[in-house]
Amino acid sequence: MKSKIRMIAVMALFTLLMVLGLTNNQSQVEAASDSGTLKIGMEANYPPYNWTQTTSANGAVKIDGSKQYANGYDVQIAKLIGKYLHKNVVVEKTEWDGLLPALTSGKIDLIIAGMSPTAERRKQINFSNPYRKSSFVVIVNKDSKYAKAKTLNSFKGAKLTAQQGTLHYNLIKQLKGAVRENAMKDFSAMRQSLQSGTIDGYVAEDIEYLSYKRVNRNITAINISKMKGFKVSKSDSITSIGVKKSNTKLLAQVNQALATISTKKRNQLMATAVKQQPKAGSSQTSAEKSQPWLVKTWKQYGNMILGGVGMTLLLALVGTIAGFFIGLVVGIIRTIPTPTTAGKKAFLKVVNWLLAVYVEVFRGTPMMVQAAVIYYGIAQLWHINLNRTVAALVIVSINTGAYLAEVIRGGIISTPEGQFEAASALGMTHNQRMWHIILPQAIRNCLPSITNEFIVNIKDTSVLSIISVSELFFVGSTVASQTFEFFPTYFIISVIYLILTFTITRIFNLIEKKLAGPKNYNLMANQIQVGNPEDEVK
Amino acid sequence: MTETNQTIISLKHMQKAYGDHQVLKDINVDINKGEIVTIIGPSGGGKSTTLRCINLLEQPTGGEIDFHGENILAPGYDLNDYRAKVGMVFQQFNLFNNLDVLSNCMVGQELVLKRSKDEAKKIALENLKKVGMEPFIKAKPSQLSGGQQQRVAIARAISMDPEVLLFDEPTSALDPEMVGEVLEVMKKLATTGLTMIIVTHEMAFARDISDQVLFVADGIITEAGEPDQIFNHPQNEKLQKFLRNFRANSL
Repeated sequence: MKSKIRMIAVMALFTLLMVLGLTNNQSQVEAASDSGTLKIGMEANYPPYNWTQTTSANGAVKIDGSKQYANGYDVQIAKLIGKYLHKNVVVEKTEWDGLLPALTSGKIDLIIAGMSPTAERRKQINFSNPYRKSSFVVIVNKDSKYAKAKTLNSFKGAKLTAQQGTLHYNLIKQLKGAVRENAMKDFSAMRQSLQSGTIDGYVAEDIEYLSYKRVNRNITAINISKMKGFKVSKSDSITSIGVKKSNTKLLAQVNQALATISTKKRNQLMATAVKQQPKAGSSQTSAEKSQPWLVKTWKQYGNMILGGVGMTLLLALVGTIAGFFIGLVVGIIRTIPTPTTAGKKAFLKVVNWLLAVYVEVFRGTPMMVQAAVIYYGIAQLWHINLNRTVAALVIVSINTGAYLAEVIRGGIISTPEGQFEAASALGMTHNQRMWHIILPQAIRNCLPSITNEFIVNIKDTSVLSIISVSELFFVGSTVASQTFEFFPTYFIISVIYLILTFTITRIFNLIEKKLAGPKNYNLMANQIQVGNPEDEVK
Repeated sequence: MTETNQTIISLKHMQKAYGDHQVLKDINVDINKGEIVTIIGPSGGGKSTTLRCINLLEQPTGGEIDFHGENILAPGYDLNDYRAKVGMVFQQFNLFNNLDVLSNCMVGQELVLKRSKDEAKKIALENLKKVGMEPFIKAKPSQLSGGQQQRVAIARAISMDPEVLLFDEPTSALDPEMVGEVLEVMKKLATTGLTMIIVTHEMAFARDISDQVLFVADGIITEAGEPDQIFNHPQNEKLQKFLRNFRANSL
C-alpha cells in the first residue's frame, strides 16, 4: 500500500513537470535571438553539410565551449545568414536527437543541420524555405549483387539501414523485401558497417554518395528517387533551416537572407564543402601514411583526448565526492529514530517521504534520461541556460547521491546494535553517537561500495554525451568519425578507461588497507596473554 | 560492604511489556549507595530486562525509577546526564570498533563530561592500569581477546566516574579461562565503594561479593536477601529448584 502511494506520487510529480513544460512552452520568451550572436545548432558530424575540424582553416566557425571548429555547407550558409542579419555566428555542437529540444528550449536560435522539414517536425518547429534540394540513393559496394538494382523490388533480402531519426530510414520500407536493420547514429558508423560487410547498403542523399566516393572508390549509388512507384513528399527531398515556432520575426529574416543566395552560389558552396570535408585513410598523402596511425592520431587529437580524460575524471571525482555528501546527509536523516513529540514526528515523516521519492526517482531512471530532462527541462521551464559542464556535474552528483544514500543507510543499520547501546550508555546524544561512533564504522564498511560507485561514474559519465559534454567517450566518437578508424580509436579509448578504473581501484584498496590497520597487535598481545593478568590488577 | 543506607536507585512497580508479553510484571527494590547487588534467576525470567530498564536501553512500560529520589521517567528529565552517572558493562563488551583502547576510554569523558583531552587521557590511563590493560592502549578491539575486551569495557565505564555501574552477564560470552580475570577485576572494584548491580550466572561469585541478592523469575523479584539467606536458606520453591539445578549442573 505504502509503495503504491509513493509510486502514484512520483508519477504525479512527473506529470506536473511535463504539464508545466508544455504550458510554459507556449508563452516562452525569445531567448538568445535578440542579442548580437546567432546560435546555430548542428551535429558537426555530417559532412559535407557540417563537420568538426581542429583548425579555423577554410572559413570554419568556432564551436561554442570547445577548442574545435565547425565547417561545411551548413556553416557557410549560416555565415551568409549571419552576415545578412549583422550577427556573429556561433556553432552549438548538438547530437541529432538533441537538436529539436535545444531549439524549443531556446539554447539555439536556428537548426542548420541538413534537416528535412517533415510534417512531424513541423508540428514542433517552423522551417524556412529550402536551402538545398537533393535526391535519394542507396549506397552499396560496387561488387554487391544489389549494385545493378533497377526497381524498388530489386533489393529483396538486402540488409539496409539509415540514420536514426531521419526520413531515410522510413524510405527503406518502400524497397520491397529489403531487411531493415537497426538505424545508426551517423554516417561514419554506416560507412564502417558497409565496409565491414555487416550491412549491404544504406539509404542517404546523393550528396553523401559524392562525399563518400571521394574516399572510397569501391562504392556506387543507386538513385531511387526516379524509380517507378517511389513516393516521397516534396518537403522530404529538401533541407531547410529550423526556427522556433514563436520566433516568426527570425523566420522572415532567414527567408530574406536565403533569397539573396543564388542557386549557382549554393552549388558552388556545396562543391567546395565536398572537396574540403575530412577524408578517410585512403586519400592520405604518402608522408602521412608512413607514420604509424597511433602517432599520427596522437599528434592531431592528443590534446583533445587528454581533455576528455580530464573531463571524465573531473565528472567522476566531483560527482562521487558531492554524491557521497548528499548520500551521507540523506542516509543520516533516514536513520533518525522516531522522535517522541508529535510535531517532530510529522515533520520527519514528510522529510523522509521526500527523500524516499528522491532516491526512487534518481535510482529508478537512467542517468542519460535524467541528463536530457534536467538540461533541456531547466532551459525550457526557467530559461536558465546551464553551462554543460555544470549541468553534467549536478546530474552526476545527484544521481550518485541517490545510490550512496542507500549504501550509507545500509552501512548505518548494519553497524552492530551494541555500538549504539554502548554509546547511549555513556550518555552520548544522537549526534555524538552518529559522528563519533557509528558513521566512522559505517563509512569504512561502505568504502568498497563507494569505490564501486566511483568506477561506475568513470564509465557511466559517457552517457552525458547526450548533452554534448566533451568527456572521453564523446571525444572518442568525434575522433573516430573524423579519422574513420573506428576499431583503433575505440580500442584506445577503452584502454584509457581501463587504466583509469584500474588505478583508482588500487588507490582505494590502499586506503581501505590503511583504515583496517594491522591484523595483529604486535608481539605484546601474546606476551600479556600468557602472563598472569591478575598480577597487574592493583 | 559499605552500609550508609542512603537509597540511590529505587524501582517502584516497574513493568515492561513487549506487546502482550509481560516480561516484567512488578519489580520493587531499593538499592543503597555502595551496595553490591547481584541478580540471579532462570533464563527468560527478566534479569537482563530489569538491568536494561534501569539504564533505559529499554523503556519501562509502567512504574517508576527513582534516582536520588527523582523519577527519571518523568518528562523533561535529562537522560543523557543520568546515563553518564550510571555506567554499563555489556555481555558482548561492545567496545567501539573504530577506536583504539585508549580512545574507547576517552571518548565518553570528552564528549559527555566535557573533560579536556589531557585530563581524559590521565583518567583513562589510570583505569586501564587498574584492569591491567595499560600495555594495550594502542590496540584496536578486534586485536584483543574477549577477556581483554571486557576489562577495557570496565575501564571505559569507570572512567566516567559513575555512581552506579551495571553489569549485564559480563562473563557469559567469555571462554572459561578468561572468566577469572574479569571477575577478579570486578572484585577489586567492589572494594572501592562503587554501587554495582550485576546480572550473573556465576553463583559462587555472587555469593562472595554481594550485599544483596535478588532472585528474579517470571517478571518479579521472587526472593531477595543477603547471600547467606538466598544460597543457604532459600524459602521460595522456585529458588530452591533453581539452586538445585545449578548445583547439579556445576558438578
